[in-house]
Amino acid sequence: MVLVNNNVLAIVLCSVLALSTAFVTAQAQDQCLTCHSTLEDNASAAFKGDIHSRKGLTCASCHGGDARSDDMEKAMGTAAGFIGVPKGNAVSEVCARCHSSSETMKGYRSNVPVSQWELLKASVHGKVSTAGGEQILQCTTCHNAHGIVPVADPRSPVHQRNAVKTCGTCHGSASYMRRYNPSLPVDQVEKYRTSVHGVLNARGDAKVAECASCHGSHDIRPASDVRSKVHPLNLPMTCAACHSDVARMKEYKIPTDQYEKFAESVHGKALLEKRDLGAPACNDCHGNHGAVPPGVQSISNVCGTCHALNAELFTSSPHKKAFDVAKLPECETCHGNHEIIATTDNLLGVSPEAVCSNCHSPETNVKGYGVARTMRALIDSLEALEGTAAGLVSEAEQKGMEVGEAKFKLRDARQARLQSRTMVHAFDEAKFEEVVRPGMAIATVVMGEAQAALDDYVFRRVGLGLATLIITLLTLSLYLYIKRIERSPR
Amino acid sequence: MKTLWNRTFAWIDERVQLSDVMSFLGKKSVPVHRHSVWYYFGGVSLFLFIIQVVTGILLLLYYKGSEELAFESIQFIMAKVEFGWLIRSIHSWAANLFILSAFIHMFSVLFEKAYRKPRELTWLSGMILLFLGMGFGFSGYLLPWNEVSFFATKVGTDIAGVLPVVGEPLMVFLRGGEDVTGATLSRFFGFHVAVLPGIFTVMLGLHLLLVQRQGMSKPLSYEQLPATDQKTMPFFPNFMLRDLLLWLLVLNLLAILAVFFPWELGVKADPFAPAPAGIKPEWYFMFMFQTLKYIPGELWFLEGEVVGILLFSLAGLVWMFIPLWDKKSARGEENRFINYLGLFALIYIIVLTTIGWFS
Repeated sequence: MVLVNNNVLAIVLCSVLALSTAFVTAQAQDQCLTCHSTLEDNASAAFKGDIHSRKGLTCASCHGGDARSDDMEKAMGTAAGFIGVPKGNAVSEVCARCHSSSETMKGYRSNVPVSQWELLKASVHGKVSTAGGEQILQCTTCHNAHGIVPVADPRSPVHQRNAVKTCGTCHGSASYMRRYNPSLPVDQVEKYRTSVHGVLNARGDAKVAECASCHGSHDIRPASDVRSKVHPLNLPMTCAACHSDVARMKEYKIPTDQYEKFAESVHGKALLEKRDLGAPACNDCHGNHGAVPPGVQSISNVCGTCHALNAELFTSSPHKKAFDVAKLPECETCHGNHEIIATTDNLLGVSPEAVCSNCHSPETNVKGYGVARTMRALIDSLEALEGTAAGLVSEAEQKGMEVGEAKFKLRDARQARLQSRTMVHAFDEAKFEEVVRPGMAIATVVMGEAQAALDDYVFRRVGLGLATLIITLLTLSLYLYIKRIERSPR
Repeated sequence: MKTLWNRTFAWIDERVQLSDVMSFLGKKSVPVHRHSVWYYFGGVSLFLFIIQVVTGILLLLYYKGSEELAFESIQFIMAKVEFGWLIRSIHSWAANLFILSAFIHMFSVLFEKAYRKPRELTWLSGMILLFLGMGFGFSGYLLPWNEVSFFATKVGTDIAGVLPVVGEPLMVFLRGGEDVTGATLSRFFGFHVAVLPGIFTVMLGLHLLLVQRQGMSKPLSYEQLPATDQKTMPFFPNFMLRDLLLWLLVLNLLAILAVFFPWELGVKADPFAPAPAGIKPEWYFMFMFQTLKYIPGELWFLEGEVVGILLFSLAGLVWMFIPLWDKKSARGEENRFINYLGLFALIYIIVLTTIGWFS
């Protein structure tokens, strides 16, 4: 046992000695660092802890020159390839010499992707800066120049906990941002700090979303760019990358089926299938940088951003107060949230599938029950009348009758039905009737006009029959008369 | 009753010498032979033209020739005016039957060589009437201001615009500007109800006068028969009653077409909308339209379309002046070349129209 321990000790000592010798040799060879260290400048001090220094790179790896020479003129001479401090895009190009070469990176046993420089050039930050010919951001803007550490290192400016501050350096500065995009808000960091993500991030939660989680890192594009991760068409999937991850969400105790529900909802189908950019993505209801679930009493405000009239009617309806007292989440109570499906008239009324009957019953809430039943009966009547009128108009049209005006009026009946669906949210029978009754009257008029056209169709056929008969009789008479005069001698 | 009729006739006769006309009509006879049936198509064309005039005047009572109101006014005629649907459908159907009947009339005259001396002017005036009839069709097609007519007019005037030298000014003149707009509609309305009817009436008067003055043409084979074998029938009343009989049949046909196949109104024209697929001209322009489609984009050093239009113009002129260059028929000799030419033109028109219609 002792023998084994001695052997192990010997191996460890030898290894340490060898490594120390190699390190000292490398340090000894970097004459630049030796001199600059004596000058106690910040760059050399920071470089000592830099990942590149640890991987054996010297000052000359980026700045050129001969790091082995202790002759300053020789070491920093143009003959030795010294380039000094790179300017503009040359900074990133120096980084890209290694970071864009998979061969070189493999040599350092690094699995860092080699596409960053190309992605950065194609990103919004790759656009030309107002300062001159170079692009807006260089690698060093976010990663620092000396003292670069891996992203996972908490000292890195792009570490999950520091990224918000790093991005906010520019994006929180109105004077800087207005040079590139004056309409872009500069309060994202402040909003983020109020969000669930921001609060957890500030507590040191490394799993929670920060800027790069949603926007990407090197490949950031404007939100209006369809290739952007935060473009409305891509945003649900971007959010779902974390929120549909059961393992990731486990500790937060929140559901992970929102994306699936959303994709099947009327909003999801409009956005993801029809690619209708007017349809809401996650951020339209939850906010983006200040993302939080809407409070129970503010749901109608959130939905009302688009469904303004419905929200207004609801807010002034008797249901608003009742829902607030019962702590029912307004619109969501009847329509659901992520899984909202296309609304049909079946939601209204007192039948088992109607949502009204969830709260109203003939025993507990007679008035509400009666109103729901009447409103459903009215809208059903309007739909039936409209359907009959449309059928008659279609029949008349197929028979070649001119029913353009009736068809035009029919649109008013349909409009009344659509308005009545909105007016449901007032939960007021009288107001509902004010919309439905005129629609029913229009449908009745259209039915009359279409029926008149159909009657006219029959009249035309009968008229044609009579006219044909008369003309045929005339023709026959004429034929017989001609025969008679042609038979008689001249 | 008879006395009243005789007194009325005598009253008129005393003033306009009506008995001379009656005597002329009484002596007038029509040759009877195996091709006599073709004589009736002139009368049918005349009858259809009369129907066009009557129904056209009735439509004028309600039609409004402006971009904003044209479509709506026809919609009103179709839906609100008593028998408006019938008048409009008859007007549209009679227009097409008129062109068809005029074509049949023209070809029958050609094959019978009825244009030969001394009837050169009758042929010429008839050809002008046919062209005017097609002009009526082209100008009338736009008047409902629906999608199909709008784009067909655009294509039609575009084709006129490619003609060298005169094309561009002609297109601008027809359209009343660079594009088909409300100005084109007003212009076409003017052509349809004032300019063309005026010229047509004068030309029709001349045509009928010549027919009455020169009598019915006799086919060459008929002329060669001995005088005793040349059968005739009195123009009045026999031929006229037969004409009337056919007119009644045509009227019946028109009523059936108008009721069973009412002329559609379509969708109102939207100048900013893209042209719908399958825009086609009226069937009587189809053979020319289809031909232009087959001509390559560039022919020799000219645009294919220009070559096509120039060839059709040339063919039209040659056709129009047949009586002047067909010396053989004028001499009373059989000219088979005209038969072959007529047959070729007839088959060409039928085939190209059919292809165009179903493509």
